Amino acid sequence: MVSLTIDGRKVEAEPGKTIMEAAGSVGVKIPSLCYHKALLPWGSCRLCVVEVAGRPKLVASCAVPVEEGIEVRTDSPRVVAARKLVSELLLLRCPEVPQIQELASEMGADETRLRRFQPDHEDCILCGLCIRICKERMGINAVDFVNRGPDRKVAPPFSRHSPICQTCGACESVCPTGAVHLAEVTGNTPRPIAAEFNMGLVGRKPIYIPFPQAVPKVPVIDPERCVFFQRGVCQTCGSFCEAHAIDYEQKEEELELDVGAVVVATGLDLYDVSSLEEYGYGKVKNVITAMEYERLTSASGPTGGELKRPSDGRLATDIAFIQCVGSRDFKHMAYCSSVCCMHATKEAMLAYEHHPGTKSTIFYMDLRAVGKRFQEYLTRAAAEYNVTYVRGRPGSIEEAENGNPIIWYEDTAARQTKSFETDLVILSQALLPSNGHVSEALGIALDEYGFVQIPDRLAHPLDSSRPGVFACGYVHSPRDIPDSVVQASGSAARVAEVLAGTQGADDDG
Amino acid sequence: MAVRSADDLAKLHERGLGSLFPAKTKVSVGMATCGLASGADEVFKAIRAEAESRGADIVLSRTGCMGFCQREPLVSVVKPGWPRIVYGEVDIPKAEEIIAALAEGKVLDEYALCQIAEESNLIEDSRIAYPTNGLPPGLEKVPGYQDVPFFARQEKRILHSCGLVDPDSLEEYVSLGGYRSLFKVLTSMTPEEVIEEVTRSGLRGRGGAGFPTGRKWEFCRQAPGEPKYVICNADEGDPGAYMDRGILESNPHSVVEGMVIGAYAIGASQGVVYVRMEYPQAIEKIRTALEQAEEQGFLGNDILGSGFSFSIDIDCGSGAFVCGEETALMASIEGLTGEPRQRPPFPAQSGLWAKPTNINNVKSWASVPLIISRGAEWYSSLGTEKSKGTVVFSLVGNVNNSGLVEVPLGMSLRSLVFDVGGGIPGDKELKAVQTGGPSGGCIPAEMADLSVDYENLAEAGSIMGSGGMVVMDEETCMVDVAKYFLSFTVAESCGKCVPCREGLRRMHEILTDITEGRGQEGDVELLEQMSNTIIDTALCGLGNTAPNPVLTTIRYFADEYRAHIEEKRCPAFVCKALTSYYIDPSKCRACRICLKECPTEGIAGAKDVIHVIDQEKCSKCGTCYDVCPTRLSAVVRLSGVPVPATLPEEERVLARAKREE
Repeated sequence: MVSLTIDGRKVEAEPGKTIMEAAGSVGVKIPSLCYHKALLPWGSCRLCVVEVAGRPKLVASCAVPVEEGIEVRTDSPRVVAARKLVSELLLLRCPEVPQIQELASEMGADETRLRRFQPDHEDCILCGLCIRICKERMGINAVDFVNRGPDRKVAPPFSRHSPICQTCGACESVCPTGAVHLAEVTGNTPRPIAAEFNMGLVGRKPIYIPFPQAVPKVPVIDPERCVFFQRGVCQTCGSFCEAHAIDYEQKEEELELDVGAVVVATGLDLYDVSSLEEYGYGKVKNVITAMEYERLTSASGPTGGELKRPSDGRLATDIAFIQCVGSRDFKHMAYCSSVCCMHATKEAMLAYEHHPGTKSTIFYMDLRAVGKRFQEYLTRAAAEYNVTYVRGRPGSIEEAENGNPIIWYEDTAARQTKSFETDLVILSQALLPSNGHVSEALGIALDEYGFVQIPDRLAHPLDSSRPGVFACGYVHSPRDIPDSVVQASGSAARVAEVLAGTQGADDDG
Repeated sequence: MAVRSADDLAKLHERGLGSLFPAKTKVSVGMATCGLASGADEVFKAIRAEAESRGADIVLSRTGCMGFCQREPLVSVVKPGWPRIVYGEVDIPKAEEIIAALAEGKVLDEYALCQIAEESNLIEDSRIAYPTNGLPPGLEKVPGYQDVPFFARQEKRILHSCGLVDPDSLEEYVSLGGYRSLFKVLTSMTPEEVIEEVTRSGLRGRGGAGFPTGRKWEFCRQAPGEPKYVICNADEGDPGAYMDRGILESNPHSVVEGMVIGAYAIGASQGVVYVRMEYPQAIEKIRTALEQAEEQGFLGNDILGSGFSFSIDIDCGSGAFVCGEETALMASIEGLTGEPRQRPPFPAQSGLWAKPTNINNVKSWASVPLIISRGAEWYSSLGTEKSKGTVVFSLVGNVNNSGLVEVPLGMSLRSLVFDVGGGIPGDKELKAVQTGGPSGGCIPAEMADLSVDYENLAEAGSIMGSGGMVVMDEETCMVDVAKYFLSFTVAESCGKCVPCREGLRRMHEILTDITEGRGQEGDVELLEQMSNTIIDTALCGLGNTAPNPVLTTIRYFADEYRAHIEEKRCPAFVCKALTSYYIDPSKCRACRICLKECPTEGIAGAKDVIHVIDQEKCSKCGTCYDVCPTRLSAVVRLSGVPVPATLPEEERVLARAKREE
């Protein structure tokens, strides 16, 4: 260990660590702009300069290693003057960049003395982070500094689109001021990775936490899109992780377990409603699925809970729900998906709560409100939440010039064909049992719709066709969360029955 | 045929002497860049043609720069029985006359600069006198070398054979003791002994920083890592400085020998000479020298049979002043953009290709063979307490004798400017001496008795630098000088760090405003504050020192700044925006000379009509001021005062015309 003094405090640091790292370890924060934990020190912004006793000039703490016995000051008048000048000079260069304005005010920039100069209107601070991450981490170096001195700028060679850029967007994401535009580096169209949990409405990184309630709530790497797994470079995440928790060598393990019972609780999948071409999903921009709606109105979703419609980002205040999209339909799924009438009503009420006055219209065939006080829920929606229920199955959806969907439907009560223009259409998509591989893997039968076949629904409502294998939740049959929980308790009880007295016994016992 | 023994070296020595002092008449033309720029190539060809047409059997050779660049082309003539006669400012007609006179056994004393009775062999501490008989008449009118003021006060050491030997001749180099030091080192000295000698000599790096050379070699020797490198920094970028160019073009082997000795001392196996691309002649000369050295076994494997192997490559710069900075230089050699990096680690520990590297300037390397052969005591017998030895300056600017001069450290500025430099043209007043290039400062005339060494210059706010010394007369605007140097450093800044890239150009903005009449109260204080912070904060030596010219001019010429800012006046009449040209109607005699010469046709007038300058058209070129006959001196320069109103035409008719009516 190396002993040094920082601002009068004794500090111990590992040899090879920089002064900035040593200071950070005792809570002394040194400002910087061009420093990045996963990149080699660059030392060009000069914001992190500190005074080392006996050295004639200030030194960049991000780059200078600790030495035994040195006395460092991070707050001396020379250091303060340096930071002030650097932030003033950057403010003169980039007066409109909020991050630089903030920095300048933090560093005590003197606005009066800056008025003496002609400011530029740049947004790039020439920190080089974009270049260095592309060169050091991605091994590509698609952009670099060109020109010397005051003419310096960041560009691909000859300011033409780079043929070697891998369109990963690392440069754009590491830029502290938002000056990097991927479109200036490459002619390739970036392919955002659709965040699965947010229904592809937004992108995600190759390393990501699937959703806020994930168990365990730990990031996972998508090897199909991770630059390390694809090209053997980067590993920026690994060099950042202070817990050294990232193991790129992790392999899939196959475990063999000897068990006495299996509970199948694999849940549901969403039906792809683009096959219902009459509704224009995928073509008419403001036609979305109910699950997409859920993500748009979720506070942790892509829009922070604001119902911004896809075509123009405008808040939708007149919305329409179409029920049974793909359900109760011989051309698609013949069964009723069970939960959609209730969830559509909930969604309409939610929209009203977010923005009182929102008008919702629900186009239904039958309203299935079979649970306790479910009917009262629907009545309340109509009475207090500006929800109108229209009995009629829409035939098609067109798109108006302003992006509004126009629904053509038959009003069965009035026995008329009508058109209905709205801001946004939500399709209550059919739900499917998520039964991938379950049947072959466990040797159980599925019914004609793909749900787990239950031979004896009366006496053994949770037993599959194979002894010891039970099913609960949506893969068993369409049901909501409370009913799924009831079945889960039931499955647990069945498991307990089957395994009682068998502890320690072998397969035959 | 490689040299392997003292005998081999002696044979080269003999051959070299035969080439340097042939039995026939020898004519040498100075053909370093200074000579070439003055027409030496044409003179060379003319001499050859003239000699051929006369059937004269002479040895015609090329030599380097003698240092008196002001008088180039310089042609040396040695006729057996005569001392060497150096003719100056030789053009084609003079060259033909000289050859003609030679054929008749005559000397043209009116063209002769000096005569040299003996050449010195500094390495071997001997003299070679020219045997004399049958001296030509008129020779007594030619001053001796030591009587020429330019040469009298100089102590040529690393420049001593420049302008004498043919730079392309390894034998001539050997004939004056060349490679004798290397031989001594490889056969009788350990690396530690070499470092000891260099350290004791007190040699300080001549690139500008002045770091003790021996100590630097020791650091590199001690650093772990292989292979080790030595680099010769020949990127010489200071405007007006060309000492390193002169040495490479005139005596390149001295640098090679120095590098081999240094490599042996440090334990380096590979060397690089990094020359700026703008020096094609120097590149050619050093390339030839390296090839010759390798051929003769002074480079390569098992040098002189000692077991020590070392070779040198050449790498060229690409037009960046910043590549004179050692870490930027190494980046350039590695094929990266020439940008400095943080130190530590220092090159001695981690330099070229992250290996221990020792970088020295051309003049430092050239000093090494002398130190080895003559010893540390001899070397340190000249100089001051902390600044030992001699220093080479390029003495340029408003000075009569411009050229490359080598003087002991400790000589005064006054002596340099007036004794060596011969004073200021036109007998104008000395105003300042600028040293150290864009990293240095301006020493005012009041401090002309300053004894020039590293410490005194630093205390005065300047630096020694690589050796550029610019003499400035009373017609220099010091604010303009500061602006000039900043425009250089702004353009040459690599652009990596904020204080240099952004700070210097903002300072330049202020200076431009001041020189164009937009100076504001507080500008001088702002310049000082910015200067001090930039010096403290910039990443490399370029930024750390670029504010020096501004700080020194503010320190010593504050009045000029005040005049520019408060009175909108340029005392030296240099800043065009603040200067006006005006024809004094009481002095003008309507001779029409200025009228005809004015490039913008901005002077109105006629015969017998007093001339008037149209201020709108005036480009402030100063031509009218220069061409107006001295006895009239009717054109005056005005600054800080309004231009008087133009007299109406009737009042401008000259009296003599009126008398005629």
